[in-house]
Amino acid sequence: MGILEIKDLHVKLADEDKVILDGLSLIVRPGEVHAIMGPNGSGKSTLSYVLAGREGYEVTGGEVLLDGEDLLAMEPNERAARGVFLAFQYPIEIPGVATMQFLKVALNAQRKARGEPEMSTPEFMRLIRDRAQRLGISPEMLKRPVNVGFSGGEKKRAEILQMAVLEPSMCIMDETDSGLDIDALRIVADGVNGLRSPDRAMIVITHYQRLLEYIVPDRVHVLSQGRIVKSGDKSLALELEERGYADYGRDAA
Amino acid sequence: MNIPIRNTTAEAAYFQAGQAMVVSPARRAAFDRFMAGGLPHRRMEDWRWTDLKQLLARPFPPAAPVLTEARTVERLVALSPFEGVPRARLVIADGVYRPELSELPVTAGVSVSLLSDPTPIDADDPLLLLNTAFFTGGLKIEVAAGENVTLPVEIVSVNSGERAESFAPRIEVEIGDGAALTLVETHLGIDGSYVALPLTLAMLGAGARLDRIKVQEDAARAYHLANAHIDLGAEATLRDFTFTIGAAVTRNQGFVTFSGEGSDARVTGSYLLHDRQHCDTRLVIDHAVPRCTSREIFKCVVDEEARGIFQGKVIVRPDAQKTDGKQSSHALLLSPTAEFDAKPELEIFADDVICGHGATAGDLEEDHVFYLRSRGIPEDRARSMLITAFIAEAFDDVTDERLRDGLAARAEGWLDRRRGIADAAGNGGDA
Repeated sequence: MGILEIKDLHVKLADEDKVILDGLSLIVRPGEVHAIMGPNGSGKSTLSYVLAGREGYEVTGGEVLLDGEDLLAMEPNERAARGVFLAFQYPIEIPGVATMQFLKVALNAQRKARGEPEMSTPEFMRLIRDRAQRLGISPEMLKRPVNVGFSGGEKKRAEILQMAVLEPSMCIMDETDSGLDIDALRIVADGVNGLRSPDRAMIVITHYQRLLEYIVPDRVHVLSQGRIVKSGDKSLALELEERGYADYGRDAA
Repeated sequence: MNIPIRNTTAEAAYFQAGQAMVVSPARRAAFDRFMAGGLPHRRMEDWRWTDLKQLLARPFPPAAPVLTEARTVERLVALSPFEGVPRARLVIADGVYRPELSELPVTAGVSVSLLSDPTPIDADDPLLLLNTAFFTGGLKIEVAAGENVTLPVEIVSVNSGERAESFAPRIEVEIGDGAALTLVETHLGIDGSYVALPLTLAMLGAGARLDRIKVQEDAARAYHLANAHIDLGAEATLRDFTFTIGAAVTRNQGFVTFSGEGSDARVTGSYLLHDRQHCDTRLVIDHAVPRCTSREIFKCVVDEEARGIFQGKVIVRPDAQKTDGKQSSHALLLSPTAEFDAKPELEIFADDVICGHGATAGDLEEDHVFYLRSRGIPEDRARSMLITAFIAEAFDDVTDERLRDGLAARAEGWLDRRRGIADAAGNGGDA
């Protein structure tokens, strides 16, 4: 369950003639962890947004299949119900919506979409308390509006908490390491590692190799100018750390 | 005497009825003053968005005090959003106070009496003059000094809609030194077209506190033209929240005067408007003395072809040093044809003051909608959650939790209706 096939994907910005993804292909199978590395502007965040279904992009060629079905034809909420989860680089603050209530509505909306019975409030409370505790998130934080007033580290932890509660099969983490100090990074990575399982795939998008010391990938891909220019095992990340992105295109950092 | 530009049929009905009525000299004087100016219109600065000459398109002669059938009244009273909340409940029906249908407060320090004649107020405001001239009835609440009334007092003002007339009830409230009262005003109507011209006059003694919550759910074709005059003594506290959902045309005027130093007023509100509803809030906060604090915060949701207006004026008199006055309005526009106008005004004649204003208007943040959808929440539900969250912040000012729940349930009902329309249109989303 949960094989993702990206085939020759071409994407441009919807309202200007700027090509961002230019023939990207990638297959992610259940249980695998893929790291996508690349310089700024290589298309990493666009890939994550296009997979999650954000507006503002136009797919001009190629396709994305989830278990053989056209992912790009689905609404963002349908994709979520099918197991796609994007941990945002910049988690959005939602004033007035308590984190707990938000997650309960989200979980039950997904269950309903999958034809599963809704989870009762006590059952949900047990689940979220358990998951929050493992990530060092206080019950107080769960009562606060989604991400409002959270520090950078708290926001990233809250994203991983959402992932732990919603239990997606295809996790996309967009620069989850950005803005984290080493302690926060370790907590987040522990949370992610705790979610690794044979039927859950992960795409870890990052600029730096540092995160991959904690979340060890099966495959590493270098994204440059909208396409994957090199793939390898975890040693590729170390190579990039030493030599930088200079070998991979004009936007190299 | 100013000659009105041309009498509208609505004005003619007022003039004709007024000339024939036998009333006290004070009410006669108010009528004469109203006659001199006629209905307000767009060439008057305060009324530029709410031209009553045009909006009152037919005559609504002043109502005679008539006792509406008790069953009709009780059916409407039961629609209060605060049914089930422990409270005293006073009933005004078609502009007439109905003690026999009321549940009076049992606290010893509170007295409720029939108001036989309205207290004259010296001002040229046309709604005040209409309420005084065409007064249909009302009541007076007095809270003895030092009395902290814990149970809210609700005044349910229902309109049967049986007669296309103008109803002008009056509530007068006196809160003694150090006393406290929670006053809920609920205005309800379902049917018909009528003009409600309610007026609330409140005097707060030194150290007194008034929590006033007004909910307006008049009939869809009704006009709600309301005034509140609130005077604060020294070290007094006012928490005033107005929630507008009903009526075709609403004008809410609030005049708050600081008469004693060291007082604090928060005047807040929320509108939920759809169809072609029109709601105009006009506030005048008069810092007549030093060291008072005022906050005005309005959060409005405007859908379809509705129009919301917020006009807030803060006056700081020459002696009113150390004034702290701020106002803001925030509108959520849910359709391209919805409109919101904000006009803040500051008239500052003192130099050692902090005053400010801010206004925002816009659609829901698409980033917020996407974030919720990316977690599996369908689009219409995501939008409703975000609208609810926007409104909930306005309810934060209502400290009584049970009253706040009643308001929140009404907001939910409003959103359900909106979702129902979206579902019926078959798009499951937004127009």
